[in-house]
Amino acid sequence: MKRRSFMKTLTMGAGVLSFGLLPFFMGRILRPNVKAHAENRIPLPGALKNPEDFARACIGCGLCGEVCPVRSVQFYKNDGGFLADTPYIDPEQKSCILCGLCMEACPTNALTVTPVREIDMGTAQIDRAACYPWVDAGVCGACVSICPLGSSAIDFEFGNFYRPVVQDGCVGCGQCVEVCPEPSLPINIVSREHGKVAQHGIGVRKMERGQRGF
Amino acid sequence: MKSFLRHLNKLRWLSLSIVFSMLIILPFIHLYQTYEAAHAYDLLTPTEKTISDTVEALTSPFVKDPDELSAVKGNTWSGTLFGLKLSDPLAVLGQIFASMSFYWAFIVTALIPVVITLLFGRVYCGWICPATFIYELNDNLAAWLRKAGLPVSRRKLDRRIKYIVLVVGLLLSVYFGAVMFGSVYPPAIIGREIYYAIALGGFGAGAVFFLLTLFFDLMVTRRGFCRYVCPGGALYSLLGRYRLFRIKRDVATCNDCAKCNVVCQFGLDPLQDDFGMECNNCSACIAVCPTDALSFTVSTHDVAFQGPGHLGHKYRKAHPDVNTSETSVQ
Repeated sequence: MKRRSFMKTLTMGAGVLSFGLLPFFMGRILRPNVKAHAENRIPLPGALKNPEDFARACIGCGLCGEVCPVRSVQFYKNDGGFLADTPYIDPEQKSCILCGLCMEACPTNALTVTPVREIDMGTAQIDRAACYPWVDAGVCGACVSICPLGSSAIDFEFGNFYRPVVQDGCVGCGQCVEVCPEPSLPINIVSREHGKVAQHGIGVRKMERGQRGF
Repeated sequence: MKSFLRHLNKLRWLSLSIVFSMLIILPFIHLYQTYEAAHAYDLLTPTEKTISDTVEALTSPFVKDPDELSAVKGNTWSGTLFGLKLSDPLAVLGQIFASMSFYWAFIVTALIPVVITLLFGRVYCGWICPATFIYELNDNLAAWLRKAGLPVSRRKLDRRIKYIVLVVGLLLSVYFGAVMFGSVYPPAIIGREIYYAIALGGFGAGAVFFLLTLFFDLMVTRRGFCRYVCPGGALYSLLGRYRLFRIKRDVATCNDCAKCNVVCQFGLDPLQDDFGMECNNCSACIAVCPTDALSFTVSTHDVAFQGPGHLGHKYRKAHPDVNTSETSVQ
């Protein structure tokens, strides 16, 4: 009888325990392929460089989203795996305006207060085969005129009006991505090692996708 | 003094309602602030215009500049209250274990909650936690079901399970490299999910989990999640073990009616002087006591069982010569 009641307690405890641990694994089960959208999700300004470090530091309180005056901060939901409830910015929907409120609001070291020109959210990358001025299909210059950091971040090519060239000062806020009128988005935010000009070819794309996933 | 203590439970409900309604109001205030920041009222959709007008009408008598509404931000997991940054101790503990480092600027934000917990015990669970608001309403529903004759939420489990959940959650935080408690801790889930639903649209996985816990409370055990599973409750119980303010039974005025035992949602035993570390000082037993035998006292330990109440049958049978009318309370 004693053994039976002990087993009962044990089973019940195991049941309650597994119930409590359910959401630990729920994020895993419900997660679709994150890599399909990895290119569109950039870290917040002042975020820790490594996404794994960021997941370790962020507690998921959502303060960065609640102070953002343009509501550009989105959150990984059940598609984030262990990045669930941590913030990201989708520059295609709404880009960062570099106001720095999220860095001040963050209670943890996930976001640190950084001067505007030292922020590293990535860099803009231009696909010269799809950009109107680069294929001589028209004049545009939207990305250059919207850029909050001016000619140190993106500028026209020397002697060629309206052909944008990303400079070293780009911090990757993504306003150029939001404003770009071309539907195939020739400009995108990538991490710095991928360069400022898109490299073409299936092999290159595949390799980049593989590297970027977390 | 006595009459004031009887109204503490109403005060607690006021506190719970304020916290919960703030969690709903704050996302709307954020929406209003973004509309104001955009300076494009004419471009808003009719729904957005309604939100903007309503929040403006509600806040403009008190705050002229929409930016000043940022004084209160966040939720009970971590937030800003008039420039004071406050965080849940569980968030701090989880972050220490997940990142394996001490970030002092974050750790000090939990200082005030920890001190309050050391003094008052699990007072967060009873007075502030937005999940408690829903769980207590859910418990009323379970009581109705029980009254209707359904044998629901009668099971009793081991209350030490929650300490295991706390330790396992900390170890998993280290192993997986993320603050795991954020997704199992109901107040964190509620604050976040309400914000998602209002400001960003759509719920996350946490909402499903919270509904499951409601079902667990309704069907399996009374307030089961708070009592048996909640890692935050475990941490607060440990911190509040030697709390200074605790409820004490006055044996001279107790009449053994056991209403306190029935009303205690945490399944404690005030009738036997057994409050323990799980008591969240919610004062529901004080409010229900017909003879005002329960009150607060300053002590680091509960008293041992003082025997049956002097106005009860048991005591009067044992002491037939005692004149109970002297000790009774008007």
